[in-house]
Amino acid sequence: MIKKISDFLRTAFPFLAVLVLWHLSVPFWNPGGILALIPIFYYSFINPVPWFVPYAAVFCFLIDYKFDTLLFWTFIYCMFYAANGFQNFVDLTRQKNEGVMVFMAYFGAASLLLVLLGWNFIGLFRAIWLVLWLSTLYIPFAALAQRIKK
Amino acid sequence: MNQKKISSRVYSIVKSAITAAVLPVFLIYIMIDKPDYKIMNGLAKIVLPVAQWVGDGVTWPIHAIGRAASGIRELSTLRSENEELKVRLSDALRNKTECDIAISENQHLTQQLDIVKEIPQKSIVANITYNNEAFSHSTFFINKGYDSGVESGMAVVSFEGSLVGIVSDVAENFAKVRSLTDSKSNIPVRIAGSEVYGFLQGNGSNTPTIGFFSDPEFQPTRGLKLITSGIRGVLPNGIPIGEMTSHEDVNVVLPSKISDVIVLKFNSKDKYK
Repeated sequence: MIKKISDFLRTAFPFLAVLVLWHLSVPFWNPGGILALIPIFYYSFINPVPWFVPYAAVFCFLIDYKFDTLLFWTFIYCMFYAANGFQNFVDLTRQKNEGVMVFMAYFGAASLLLVLLGWNFIGLFRAIWLVLWLSTLYIPFAALAQRIKK
Repeated sequence: MNQKKISSRVYSIVKSAITAAVLPVFLIYIMIDKPDYKIMNGLAKIVLPVAQWVGDGVTWPIHAIGRAASGIRELSTLRSENEELKVRLSDALRNKTECDIAISENQHLTQQLDIVKEIPQKSIVANITYNNEAFSHSTFFINKGYDSGVESGMAVVSFEGSLVGIVSDVAENFAKVRSLTDSKSNIPVRIAGSEVYGFLQGNGSNTPTIGFFSDPEFQPTRGLKLITSGIRGVLPNGIPIGEMTSHEDVNVVLPSKISDVIVLKFNSKDKYK
């Protein structure tokens, strides 16, 4: 019974992590539930999970609705997913440090684009803060995900 | 083994192709469905409540701990708050007589000057459930939707009567409000006590900026009060907005500083876009 429950929680963890991080949105630390992009990225590209991609796309859409960014994060996610699937030069599942550098590049580039679309210095400072904060949180999250997998 | 690898690669390419095919659909959608984006907003009104409901169920222990902690914090400050409120109440009672005189004089002057002040047709009290402040965007959710009579374009004010934002999207049980600090917010305003008009533009910071004055010789200074102008026809004339803190920055009520708001419906001539 306990094994069944732990197996269920292990399988459900990627989905629950996205839901919880999106749901616990607060200004400054987790605006619009943006922290949900950490498990979305990790379980889509670094450690793919079956049936996670449509779920991730739905939550990107929900982040967009809260952010009022009109399909921006959904578009970026789909674009990265398609680009990653078509190429075979870089295997994201075998990246060093659970792909933290790729995540920084992904989120940094997307944030920069978002700042440029509605340019002002406050937006830039907030983007810098979010890139640093999400990249920092990515490392313990990846370690936790590894432990749960084992 | 090799065949399995090839089929896995083909499967991966097919999935990527499907995802890539979605991208032009998004771009076409963004071009054709503006300015209301009805399909996206309609979809969000179905998906968001479901996700919220499931999220509430999953995160209830976290919320329960948070509520308990905030309850303890509130209890600890209750005594000092009570003392402060007693002082403020005695001050307020002292001012009441002066206020009563000022109100009757104001009513008398309003009648003499033939000023017609617009009275809201409907007012709804709502709680702020989510404050989504990120990059240069600043919207927040309230817990009342079209079930309670909330409509797009309604004015959202604080309990002190200052404008906080405008309802931009409404679902059954919640509504999205664009705050004055959002970079997409641009409201025609008037300097209180004058006939000088301008535009209050949100920029993502806590202090939106005012510009494009109707009188080119007007010198904006700190301390001037701003009210809505009623020019665009969405908001009526005379809702307090805030006070100027410099020649262009305006101090407004931020959604992060309040937990409850009042949603007001006026007889608007134009639709909010």
